[in-house]
Amino acid sequence: MSPLCVIGLGNVFLGDDGFGPLAIETFRCEYEYPASVEVLDLGTPGLDLAPYLYDKKIVIVVDAVHSDASPGTLSIFHEEDFLSLKAKLRITGHDPGLWDSLAHLRLAGHAPEELIIVGVNPITCEFGEQVSFLIQDTASRAAEMIATSLAGHGIPCPPRDSPTEPDLWWFRMGCLERATAM
Amino acid sequence: MARITIDPVTRIEGHLRVDVEVEGGIVNKAWASCTMWRGLETILRGRDAREGWVFAQRFCGVCTTVHAVASVRAVEDALSLEIPTNAQYIRNLILIGHALHDHIVHFYHLSALDFVDILQIPKADPAKAASIAEGSSSWTGNSRQELAAVQSKVKGLIASGQLGIFSHGYWGHPAMKLSPEVNLILFSHYLQALDFQRKSCQVVAILGGKTPHIQNLAVGGVMNAINLNSLATMNMDRLGMLKSILEDLIPFVQQVFLADTCLLAAYYPEYLHLGRGVANYLAVPDLPLDAKATKFDLPGGVIMGGDLSRVRPIVNWQDAEFRKAVTEDSTHAWYQGGGPLQPYKGEQTPDYTDFKEEAKYTWVKAPRYNGSPMQAGPLANVLVGYASGHALTRRWTDTAFQRIAAVNGLKVTPNDLQSTMGRYLARSIRSAMLSDLALKHLELLTTNILDGDDTTYNAPNFPSGEIMGMGMHEAPRGALSHWVVIDKGVFTNYQAVVPTTWNASPRDEKGVPGPYETSLIGSPVVDAEKPLEVLRTVHSFDPCMACSCHTLDTSGKEIAEVKVQ
Repeated sequence: MSPLCVIGLGNVFLGDDGFGPLAIETFRCEYEYPASVEVLDLGTPGLDLAPYLYDKKIVIVVDAVHSDASPGTLSIFHEEDFLSLKAKLRITGHDPGLWDSLAHLRLAGHAPEELIIVGVNPITCEFGEQVSFLIQDTASRAAEMIATSLAGHGIPCPPRDSPTEPDLWWFRMGCLERATAM
Repeated sequence: MARITIDPVTRIEGHLRVDVEVEGGIVNKAWASCTMWRGLETILRGRDAREGWVFAQRFCGVCTTVHAVASVRAVEDALSLEIPTNAQYIRNLILIGHALHDHIVHFYHLSALDFVDILQIPKADPAKAASIAEGSSSWTGNSRQELAAVQSKVKGLIASGQLGIFSHGYWGHPAMKLSPEVNLILFSHYLQALDFQRKSCQVVAILGGKTPHIQNLAVGGVMNAINLNSLATMNMDRLGMLKSILEDLIPFVQQVFLADTCLLAAYYPEYLHLGRGVANYLAVPDLPLDAKATKFDLPGGVIMGGDLSRVRPIVNWQDAEFRKAVTEDSTHAWYQGGGPLQPYKGEQTPDYTDFKEEAKYTWVKAPRYNGSPMQAGPLANVLVGYASGHALTRRWTDTAFQRIAAVNGLKVTPNDLQSTMGRYLARSIRSAMLSDLALKHLELLTTNILDGDDTTYNAPNFPSGEIMGMGMHEAPRGALSHWVVIDKGVFTNYQAVVPTTWNASPRDEKGVPGPYETSLIGSPVVDAEKPLEVLRTVHSFDPCMACSCHTLDTSGKEIAEVKVQ
C-alpha cells in the first residue's frame, strides 16, 4: 500500500456532504502527483475507514466539518484541533467513523504518522441535492490546499499543464436534477 | 415501571432508537425506531438499468458491494440473462471477502466491548492469559509477550485519564463477567483484528478494482479481463496473491474469531437462553456454482416457529413462493398507506408524525413472509444449513460446540443457538465456513481459467415492454432482495428489502412486533441508567440502519443518551 493517502469522505447524495469526493476528484484532475500518493473516494465508510489509514505516513482527509466559521469557509485542521473540539467532523449516518478508527489504530500501533483535514463548512446537506454552488467553487482551492500540504512534506504536486475533466458520475448521471433548478 | 429510551444506540452503523418498558427489572415491551429516512429508491427510478448498481452501492457506506451485486442480479433476473461461470466465481469471492471483513468488524469493534471490561485488563496475569488462549486455539499471536504488550498499552491509556472513544463503556457493570485474563485476550484480538479487516478488504480490492466501491460489475457479468499472459489482467500472479492473502486471513477467522465467540458463550451461558425473539428464520441461497445458478454453496430456506426439524428449502433464485410471500407493511412506519404491498408495487411517500408508539414510529417498513415476521442474518443462515443437513455448516457448528465444551464443559445444542449468544456464535461459524468456501471458489476460478474459459460478460439486451426481476443475496446481515421493474431499459420501480428491515421491523397491521422488538422481551435490566443487557441483544443483530432507512440526519448532533422516565 502507498504510504500517502488523500481521502474524500461524504455521501454524494447529500448535498454539501459530497464535498470530499468532489474535492479529491478535482485534485486528481488538476494536479500531478507521484504514484506513492493514493487518492480515494471512500464515501461514508464508518469503521471501514481503518484499513485505509493503517500504517500510513501522511493522510489528508477532505470532508464537510462543523466549526464556528461561516458556511463555505475552507480550512485546514490537524488532529489536535479535533481533539480540542475546535472543529467537529459532520456526524453522518455512518458513525462511528474517523475518530474511532484512529483510536483503534493508535492503540494497535498502526495509526498514520500525520493526519491533515481539509474541511469546508457546509451550507446544506439535503438528500438529493447537488453540492451547492458556493461550495463547488471551493473545490479547486481545496485541491490546491492538498497539493500545498503534500509539497510542504517534500512531495511536489505541480498543477497539470492540461487538466482533465473530473469524472463526477453522480453529477454526470443526472441523479440530482433538483439542484440544477437552484 | 421504568421507560428507557436509548437514542441513538451507539456502536452501530446509522441511527437507531430503542425504547423499552421495564417492570421488576425485566423488559416487557419494546420498540425499535429508525430515525433516518431513505430516498435512494426514489433516485433510482428513471435511471438506466445497466447503471443501477453504481447508485445501489451507495445505499450504504458499509455494505457497498452487497447492494451492487443484488442490483445486477435483479436486472439479470428480469432479462433471464445468464452470466459466465467465471463471473459467478469472481462475484462470490468479492462477496466472501466483504462478508469476512464485515463479520470481523462487527464482533471485535462494534460489539465485543459489551462483554469485555477494559478496566479489568490491568489486573490480568499475561502468562495465565497466554495459557488460556493457547488452550483454546493454535493461533500464534497469543504469546505472553504479545499479551503483556497489549496490557501495558491499556494501562497507559487508563493512566492517561483520556479513555477517548472508550470512555462511554459500561465498565464495572455487574453484568460484566469475564476474568481479567479473558478480557485481556479478547482486547488483544480486538487490536489484531484491524490487520485482518485490512486483509479482507484487499481481497475485494484485487477483484473489484477498488474498495469500498467496486468498479468491476456489469449487468451480464464482470469486467475483469482474463488473460494469463497479460500483466494488466486477471492472471496467475493475481490469483496467487489472492491465495496468499486468504492463507493469512483464514487462521485468524477459524482459530481466533471462532474461539473468541466460544469463550464468550462459555462465560455468558445465560445469553444462550435470552433474546430468542422471532423464531422464524429466512435465508436465501448464495454462492452459485454454475453459470445458470442451479447449485449453491450456501443453502436457503425458511424455518417457522423455531422448529429445526422442518425446513422449507429455497432451492434457487426463481423460488416462486419467495416471490409471492414477501410483502412490506407501512402501518407503523412513516410512509403513507398501511397494509402489505408486494415489493414490485412498493411505495415510499413520507408521512412523518414524530414517535407515536400506537401509530407510526419509525422509517423502517415491516417486511413479512406469508404474513409472518422473519429473522434474517448469520443465525438464519446457520440454522437453515444445520437443519437441512448441510455438511459444511454442521462441521463448523459442531466444532464451535466442542470448543465451548472444552472451555468449561458447557453443553450447547443447535436449539440454544436461537438466542442472543447464538447470533454471535452463528456469525463466527458462518465466517469459518466462508473461509473454506473462499479457497474453494478461488480454486474453481483458477481451474476454470486454466481450462481455457476466459469469458466474463454476456451483453444484455433490453426489450421494449415492461419486465420485472428480483435479485437475492445472503448478505452479512442476512437475506437481501432487490426488486425492479424496468421499461425500455429504465427503472420504473425499485425496492430493496434489506436484512436490517427484516430485523428492525416495527409492528405490522396486526400489531405483531418485529425481531429486535420481540428479542428484548424478557431481557433483564439490572441498572436502568446503564441498559447493557438491552445493548447486547440489539448489537447481536449487527444493526446497519443506513440502508434500512437511508441517511437524512444532517443536524450534526452529537448525542449518546439513555433517558429513563
